[in-house]
Amino acid sequence: MLNVNSENGRPLRRRCVLFMLGGVAAAGLLPTWRARAGGITAPALAFDDDALVVAGAQVWRFGPSGDGVLLTTPRTPIRGLTCHPNRPGRLFAALDGGGLDRSEDGGRTWAAASGGLPLAQVTALAVAAEAPDTVYAALAEDGLWRSEDAGISWSFVMDRPWLAEAGREVLTLASVNLASGMGGIWIYAGTDQGVTRVPDCFCRWQDVVAGDAMDALVAGTSPAPEAPLPEGEPVKSLVSAHSAPERLYAALPSGLWASTDGGVAWENRSSLHAQALAVDPADPDHIAATSATKLKHSRDCGATWATLAAL
Amino acid sequence: MTRPGLFAAGLVVALGSTVWVVAADAPVVPDGLTSLGAPVTTEQVALGQAVYADNCASCHGANLEGEPDWKRRKDNGRMPAPPHDASGHTWHHADRQLFTITKLGVSAVVPGYESDMPGFEGVLSDDEIGAVLAFIKSTWPERARDFQAEVTANDEGGS
Repeated sequence: MLNVNSENGRPLRRRCVLFMLGGVAAAGLLPTWRARAGGITAPALAFDDDALVVAGAQVWRFGPSGDGVLLTTPRTPIRGLTCHPNRPGRLFAALDGGGLDRSEDGGRTWAAASGGLPLAQVTALAVAAEAPDTVYAALAEDGLWRSEDAGISWSFVMDRPWLAEAGREVLTLASVNLASGMGGIWIYAGTDQGVTRVPDCFCRWQDVVAGDAMDALVAGTSPAPEAPLPEGEPVKSLVSAHSAPERLYAALPSGLWASTDGGVAWENRSSLHAQALAVDPADPDHIAATSATKLKHSRDCGATWATLAAL
Repeated sequence: MTRPGLFAAGLVVALGSTVWVVAADAPVVPDGLTSLGAPVTTEQVALGQAVYADNCASCHGANLEGEPDWKRRKDNGRMPAPPHDASGHTWHHADRQLFTITKLGVSAVVPGYESDMPGFEGVLSDDEIGAVLAFIKSTWPERARDFQAEVTANDEGGS
């Protein structure tokens, strides 16, 4: 972590140098410092306006040039983040072990936002693309919950997906602003069995096909996608570009995948092994990714990547 | 009162009661309600109510309330029958979808979807299916009716 500053602006580079001058003992402590900075093994990530918020055991905020500020240490490590471009500064965080917190100041301070939500691990969360106060949370071994008042109260809306003869954990959620044909839009979920989706009226999980459910009916059958995501890989992160919702990005063990048609056809853009993804709300070509050790970004839809900061 | 007078009075009371009972049981069709592209009639709703009671109520509930805990999957992986009242999601679907799901089953709209609900083709006529939909739609509050009318209008080929 060489390109970060503390919140009061004091360069951490100087701290690192002093730290390294400490000799062998200090060198032995370095991995501990790095782990605290990076947080848990899969740091969560979200764009808040043009800044990137990275959260794990600590919460960091990175500017467009990669200058980082340590904001706070949350009461519990953070496993997931989400926000909405129409509510800059407001972030929702899934906490390690269960529960949700909300920040209204870009991640500096947090308060509980899980009224009525069972204390189970939130495996994924997303803000509704068309309704900034509506938040979806997937609970482990349970299903989808929804809050329509920014986390004040929650209600159960849908069981978890059933794929390959078993209920599947939702690893990642994305509210995708494409018409479902049922008066609303879609919620996409990444699982260890690929991507599935449900209309936001929550009638049923279903495969991603071209168009809406009625298009499939008119066509007679659902055509097999010509370029699906590889089978048997977990979809660790899935995001939709706010300004171009048909543009999706998915992080799989095999690399970074992109779709330009709402998830029907996919293209492998790079071998980047990302843990979390975020799309710049103002530029669908600009995406950011975290691994266990680095914050990276790409301005060409994931084809090439530059490191913004070490974590 | 003479015997003919008593008879006449009784007839008036009996007829009045009959008229009252018929009026109380007569389906109420909200103004302007259409289904599958045509105005919904009182007779259609009455037929639909009877067909619903015989063919749908055992799963979807006598009062359209759905199966208990209908948002939670059954052990076989299938979802319980949802309610058809305003607490469910039926009113998010266009007329054409609802008709097709009822006639051909859910898998006709969502390929490969496994459901406990059978298609009613060969069991119910198209008119009977249409009548059931008209009955269900007649029970919704105005907000749900307006929303569903818009969904139907946006659905190519809908009413």
